[in-house]
Amino acid sequence: MQAANTRRLTPYLFLAPSLTVLGFALLYPVGYMVYASFLNWNPSQHVSQAEWVGLRNYTFLLSDPSFRESLGVTLKFAAIVVVLEMILGVGLALLLDRKLKGMTLLRTLFILPMMIAPIVVGLMWRYLYHPTVGPLNRMLTRLGMEPVPWLSDANWALVSIIIADIWQWTPFIFILALAALQSLPRSAMEAARIDGATGWQQIWHIKLPLMLPVLIVTCLLRLIDAFKVLEVVLVLTNGGPGLSTEILSLRIARTASEFRELGKAAAMSNLLLAVLMILTLAMFAYSKFTEVRAARLRAAMQDES
Amino acid sequence: MVSACDALFREESMKTIVRTVALAAGLLAGVATGAFAGPYDAHKGKTLVVNFPAHPHYNAVMKVLPEFTKETGIKVEVDQLEYLKMREKQTLELTKAKGDYDLIAYVVFSKADYVFADQLENLARFFMNPLLADPAYDAADIIPGYMQNIGVAGGDKGYLAGPTGSLFGIPFGAETSILGYRTDIFSKHKLKVPETYDEMLDLACKIPKLEPGMGGLASRAASGQHAAHAYLLHLAPLGGRVFDSQWNPIINNEAGIKAAQALKTIVDCGPEGAKTFGFAEAGAAFLQGKTAMFLDSTVFAGQVDDPSKSKIAGKVGWAMHPKGVRHGSQTGGFGIAIPKNAKNKDAAFLLMQWLTSKKADKLVALQGGNPIRFSTHADAEVNAKFPYMKTFGEALKHADPDWRPIIPPWGKINNDLGTTMSKIITENADIKQSMDGLAARTKATMKEAGYETFK
Repeated sequence: MQAANTRRLTPYLFLAPSLTVLGFALLYPVGYMVYASFLNWNPSQHVSQAEWVGLRNYTFLLSDPSFRESLGVTLKFAAIVVVLEMILGVGLALLLDRKLKGMTLLRTLFILPMMIAPIVVGLMWRYLYHPTVGPLNRMLTRLGMEPVPWLSDANWALVSIIIADIWQWTPFIFILALAALQSLPRSAMEAARIDGATGWQQIWHIKLPLMLPVLIVTCLLRLIDAFKVLEVVLVLTNGGPGLSTEILSLRIARTASEFRELGKAAAMSNLLLAVLMILTLAMFAYSKFTEVRAARLRAAMQDES
Repeated sequence: MVSACDALFREESMKTIVRTVALAAGLLAGVATGAFAGPYDAHKGKTLVVNFPAHPHYNAVMKVLPEFTKETGIKVEVDQLEYLKMREKQTLELTKAKGDYDLIAYVVFSKADYVFADQLENLARFFMNPLLADPAYDAADIIPGYMQNIGVAGGDKGYLAGPTGSLFGIPFGAETSILGYRTDIFSKHKLKVPETYDEMLDLACKIPKLEPGMGGLASRAASGQHAAHAYLLHLAPLGGRVFDSQWNPIINNEAGIKAAQALKTIVDCGPEGAKTFGFAEAGAAFLQGKTAMFLDSTVFAGQVDDPSKSKIAGKVGWAMHPKGVRHGSQTGGFGIAIPKNAKNKDAAFLLMQWLTSKKADKLVALQGGNPIRFSTHADAEVNAKFPYMKTFGEALKHADPDWRPIIPPWGKINNDLGTTMSKIITENADIKQSMDGLAARTKATMKEAGYETFK
């Protein structure tokens, strides 16, 4: 009986130290942030001097039009960039998943943008968008078109940031989608081809369903990142004109450092965390479902071949 | 026998006299040494740790600091940081029981936060100490606008001088606003250098017609701090204030609206892309010859005649910030203070006093720094090297320490002001409506911060 108990507990004993460290490293900062969100705390105070305000920071945020505007901008930005990057990244992966001369070099070149530091990307695009010396407007003027107010117009400013983000992060989707494509069973593709499936049918009915679990995780990673984008926005527009590009992470940074309201900044971070948690859970649930479906499809294909 | 005794007595007397004279001479030498001991002797060999920003003025200071060590024997170790990083680091440093910094440079709006949190030494006790305070310091020579804006707290409105105010810091790396203009363009079109706001606004929109492709006046306008700063630059000369004496926002009154209109006119008649200009971009537009005028901080002046940075070297004249209903050049920049948790406070004061003395102010100015004393602005040697310094000194006689409130909730209000101005500039938002909205939100912020407690 005692031997059985020892056997049962042994794995937990081995796991205990790492779980303790992990739990502390993971939960302590989150717990601290939750605690801070109930305080009226400025950075010049020690946390023990901060005033306990309960849920006041949260109720303030829900009635704050600037916060709502920032949340709206963030949702709009994240939704647009992730959808467009997924379409472009997966599309390019499907296009470049073949054995052609120079393909390795092309793939390497294609992933270069995501290796550049975001602050440099921001500075580079700021130059490209420059109203007078920027190559984009000079090109438009040469073509006889009106120059575009890339960063000085509220609508164009968000478009400009979206373009810069797509340029930098589409390669990330591309590289993961390409890896997923290359891990698909070749025999299944050959069988489909022999059965007379067109290229489009192969993509739609075989490749994409099999790639879906990987694509969901990729999409989730990009979504989380898109919600937290900061540097490019900071350099390109600093949230302006007006509040038109003030994404949530910039608002949080400002609330903490410029407004010196650490409690409200923590409450905003927690709300952002809650939104991301809900999205993550939903996508994991969907991922589970697609994995089961993909496994069934794989099994059916193996049976057929 | 008598003569033997007499001789012995004489010999003893002689010894006593010699001993007495030697003792007296020794005592005199000791007293003299004590009386002439330098004020720095007690601190010789100490190392002070100071925190400065990466800023043109402090880069000039770095060249002068070895002189302090040579003169005093006190070593100085400088932690120079980008100024936003510097503020972040100070926020943490000042809350520690024992800090690492003996002297800090702080950006003006930090005065409210640091003093309110009781993190800076009141300088009265140092200036009262005869072992530390130099009687030749001549504090009256330091520009009063700078001193009130950057150094004093606890007086009128809490952040100005007044019967209840005290000194917590000394301006160092302070700056004011000044008008730069292209002498070649002005003489080509026989234009008069603007002395009033009406003249300046008129010229700002006239120049693009006279010189196609050239903007009138380069100004900051980017959303946030830049647009807020640009607006406040016009508010004070046009007779406005952000608050009345009871903390009611009055930014939406006639002067407030006129200042917003002035900024919009300047940006609309400015160079291409002016709506997104920060300080650097506005300066670059002037240096590249894309505008005929520049109205902003004096810290910019050093670059104008440097041919490696400027296409307009030798073609720029300087004039006072034009008058609206009153003169009102801005005051801002940096000050230096001793943290409450500093380890070497007395030595830090000696360094602070030395850096802001007449001698060091001139040395720093000659290296391209911003002087804080009237005497330095009028100094012949300084003017021979930087001919604009005399004009700056004249402008500083009208420096307005209250052009921008320095209160803890200002960061939030400033940001709102900056985004509101950006909407007026870029989205053509209705000025009156926007300023009314801003005033209402400012009132709510002030109420939340406790400024309506006594109402």
